[in-house]
Amino acid sequence: MKDKLVIIPAFNEAGCIVNTVNDIIENAPEFDYVVINDCSRDDTYKLCVEHGFNVVNLPINSGIGAAVQTGYLYAKRYGYKYAIQVDGDGQHDAAFLGTMARYMEEHGTGMLIGSRYIEKQGFQSSGLRRFGIKYFTVLIKILTGKRITDPTSGMRMVGRDIIEYFAEEYPKDYPEPETAVTIVKRGWTVDEIPVVMKERQAGTSSISPKRSVYYMIKVSLACVMAAMSV
Amino acid sequence: MTTEIQVIIIVLSGLGILYIGNLVRVRRLELKYALIWFLVGVLVIIFAANKHWLQSLSNFLGIELPINMLFFAGFIFVLMIIFTQTIVISNLTRRVKRLTQEVGILNKRIDDIIAAGTPSGEGVMLEKSSNKNEEEKGE
Ligand SMILES: Nc1nc2c(ncn2[C@@H]2O[C@H](COP(=O)(O)OP(=O)(O)OP(=O)(O)O)[C@@H](O)[C@H]2O)c(=O)[nH]1
Ligand SMILES: [Mg+2]
Repeated sequence: MKDKLVIIPAFNEAGCIVNTVNDIIENAPEFDYVVINDCSRDDTYKLCVEHGFNVVNLPINSGIGAAVQTGYLYAKRYGYKYAIQVDGDGQHDAAFLGTMARYMEEHGTGMLIGSRYIEKQGFQSSGLRRFGIKYFTVLIKILTGKRITDPTSGMRMVGRDIIEYFAEEYPKDYPEPETAVTIVKRGWTVDEIPVVMKERQAGTSSISPKRSVYYMIKVSLACVMAAMSV
Repeated sequence: MTTEIQVIIIVLSGLGILYIGNLVRVRRLELKYALIWFLVGVLVIIFAANKHWLQSLSNFLGIELPINMLFFAGFIFVLMIIFTQTIVISNLTRRVKRLTQEVGILNKRIDDIIAAGTPSGEGVMLEKSSNKNEEEKGE
């Protein structure tokens, strides 16, 4: 067994999941991985089993936060030293995993976020989404004093302490900005490293325009709460 | 408050208490959560039966009609009950989430053990998972 784990949450990602996992197997050989299938309604689970992938199947649909947390619980149980989450839609390039791991090992960072806004290469998301992300950068800066250029990035690596913490405490939905605040507030270090992201390879984004209003309000509140509650 | 409405309120509350009591008896309702409803029912009956208690309380609060006082108190009670339910639901959500995660990991461990133990482990895994999906649909 290796000491680093890739957590891949997948909900209705039949079109992407095989490529995503194969990319990790080929380009991140120093990592184990686990797919968390959140009771997908499509063939995601079937494909994983057919390909012999390492997959945990949640029997009830529980949301992205619960899915990712299952990965952290798994990492805790199986004694992994590092865990990194990567979206199941193939947007994150496995080639960066090794780079991130080396950075973590060198700097002993608490949480390392892969940011697409440091070198501004690759898929940058739509203008409106970028505006939303900027907003969270500012909000988090106000709340914690820490500047995080890509607070919604789903590509983030943590060490053993935070694995154990996340296994117990993790928001149910839209967890990214909120957990960044929590980690800073609890005194761990957060760093960012430039990565290049791709456009989602197939399937549909979970954040529709209608939902994004709810997202902004809910996540803003969650960040404020997280900043106050330590 | 007319005598008619007094009687109606008392009868309805009485029936409600009996109904809830029966639910507890056949174990459809936890006694723990039924207690508060019993309390509401009994209070409503007491105040409906003793008009002047209600009258003096209404006078004290400056509410003109005792019946309005009754509605107001009932409303506050219901709000309180709903709020405690929200807390209970949040708690349950957390627990269901953790159970789901544990079941997922446990299933995987079992599949791994089976796969390691039998040469045709993969076939066993596929069968198991399709069983699981059927149960889901059967719900
Ligand atoms: N468990 C679970 N995972 C989800 C759910 N919705 C999305 N995901 C996963 O979360 C990850 C990111 O979801 P996306 O919809 O791509 O969100 P995004 O990357 O912010 O948005 P895009 O830039 O449009 O791709 C993917 O791995 C999805 O499979 C859900 O309801 N439950
Ligand atoms: Mg995506």
